[in-house]
Amino acid sequence: MTSRFRKFLGDSALSFPTWAYMLFFFALPVALVMWYSFGFKPDQFTTHSMEQLSLGRYREVVSPTFLSVFTATLRISIVGTLACLVIAVPFAYWLAVKVPPGRRGLLLALVLVPFWTNFLVRTLGWQIILSPDGFVSEALQGIGLLGSPLDILYSRAAVQIGVIYNYLPLMILPLFVAMDSAGVQLREASADLGAGKWRTFFQVTLPLATPGVVSGCLLVFIPLTGDYITASVLGGANGTMIGQLVANQFQNAQNWALGSAMAVVLMLFTLAVVVVTALLALVVKAIIRYVGRVELPTGQHAGTDAGTAADLPEGSRVRQAEPAVSGTTTGGPHA
Amino acid sequence: MPERIRRRSLTDTALWVWGAVVFVFLFLPIAVIVLYSFNNGRLLASFDELGVQAYVSGLQNDVIIASVMTSLKAATGTALLATVLGTFGGIALARATKGAKWPVLLTALLALTLVTPEVVDGIAMLPWFVTLGVDAGLTPFNNGLFRLVIAHTAFSTAIVTFIIRARMAGIDSSLEEAAEDLGATKWRSFRDVTLPLAGPGILAGALMAFTLSLDNTILSSFVQQPGYTPWPVYIFSAVRVALRPEVAAISTAMLVLTLLALALVGLVLKRSGNSSSQIVKTMAGS
Repeated sequence: MTSRFRKFLGDSALSFPTWAYMLFFFALPVALVMWYSFGFKPDQFTTHSMEQLSLGRYREVVSPTFLSVFTATLRISIVGTLACLVIAVPFAYWLAVKVPPGRRGLLLALVLVPFWTNFLVRTLGWQIILSPDGFVSEALQGIGLLGSPLDILYSRAAVQIGVIYNYLPLMILPLFVAMDSAGVQLREASADLGAGKWRTFFQVTLPLATPGVVSGCLLVFIPLTGDYITASVLGGANGTMIGQLVANQFQNAQNWALGSAMAVVLMLFTLAVVVVTALLALVVKAIIRYVGRVELPTGQHAGTDAGTAADLPEGSRVRQAEPAVSGTTTGGPHA
Repeated sequence: MPERIRRRSLTDTALWVWGAVVFVFLFLPIAVIVLYSFNNGRLLASFDELGVQAYVSGLQNDVIIASVMTSLKAATGTALLATVLGTFGGIALARATKGAKWPVLLTALLALTLVTPEVVDGIAMLPWFVTLGVDAGLTPFNNGLFRLVIAHTAFSTAIVTFIIRARMAGIDSSLEEAAEDLGATKWRSFRDVTLPLAGPGILAGALMAFTLSLDNTILSSFVQQPGYTPWPVYIFSAVRVALRPEVAAISTAMLVLTLLALALVGLVLKRSGNSSSQIVKTMAGS
């Protein structure tokens, strides 16, 4: 074994099983899908053929049907992610700051109960709630708020409610962790230095929670974009999402080549969103840093932006999982 | 001064109200399902009369019980396999020499699995299992349960790895060095020092893999084989035909069991001296 080889492998021996598994059961099959996307469907009974390689399937993907479903999916996932963020920021702040520490654990556990309830079953709960002859509809009619039965099930609005509900815990959790680990000391320091409540929130708590916001948004956006279960339970025919189109090519149309091309487009798109989000987060952080800087009268600039994430003491971030986005959060010292 | 106090209590009140509203939102559909599981009627959505008929007939329904068992078996297998892979991977990543290239590559590969939409995993796995099982003659790949475990593990290993890496990153590696200085072999120091230290992370990772597998619908619907239909896939196909109260009844029973199991895990963690916030965070994988 040459020393260079040893230097490259180093202490990686322990990670070999993980490497092998992920390459064999993730990288290889996905590479196979990419390969299929250059093929074609020769006849009714064959799923794909690789005898003639072309980009033809990608041209087929960019059809009006696909594009309209694609835009609709995008609208639902962007609105869904933003709505989750708007709901979760005050909630996570309340949980991390206002709730007495003794009760925090119990309430956090309660937030996770939906997370541990089957995804489909929760969605079925919404189907019952939103149904035109359900109890909500009858109650609303009873008190005269609605003249006719509730007409929301099997519409895009129902899908929107369903996805916001299903992915909300994934937004609350990283936000709570980020706001909680910032600790009470920095907020007290900010108040001692004369900042009001809102100023402390926008210049100390929120910037410190940026990694949580980024991971929360990605944790919600990525699975939401690929999800079609919620949409097909609550949206019916009006709830076609992009994932459904891909699945149809494999499960019904038996056109693996076209389905693969759609899947590759979906994957590249998701990846692009992740990269753009990461870049945007960096820009926003730089802006917050610039706007939030404090000019000290002595002209000393050292430590002027104590409120931004980069100046967080390393130890306080160590316990964060940084799940999906280890590359995009600032990364702990051990990353 | 009094004005300031009143204004502060106003935002506080708003936050408490918001907290309550979000909790109602989070529990509304679950409460509905639990309530409707006591529906004696024929269809889930139209409430007929109160009773436990759904529980009785649900537990006697062989198809339902078989699919729940398939799900539980697949989730157990996934939790075991993903935890072993994630523990090795997570510890190796946390203890990697600074400046080495492989940790970056492995992290990138695992992160890639997380940003890959589930439907892509599904359509990638299906032809791959056919290739391995039929073309290459590796018969286990034709077994429904085996397929579910392999696919769910590929899907959840990344999260387990990251949970354990985060846990180990917070622990000083000098503890292991001390063990080796005191004469322990590399293996003994790993078994007697590193593994116990990673304990809470391993537990959280296993729990996470179990839940992910139990909940998985899209990936399972691609790789499943006749006779091995997992519970979520059963429900999803029932949605398209007609939903009977049995689905709600069995789901409620499963929820109660899950919560009991989680309470037990919480108790174990509490006895090892964690604060309640910490316990929940550990269990949620943060």
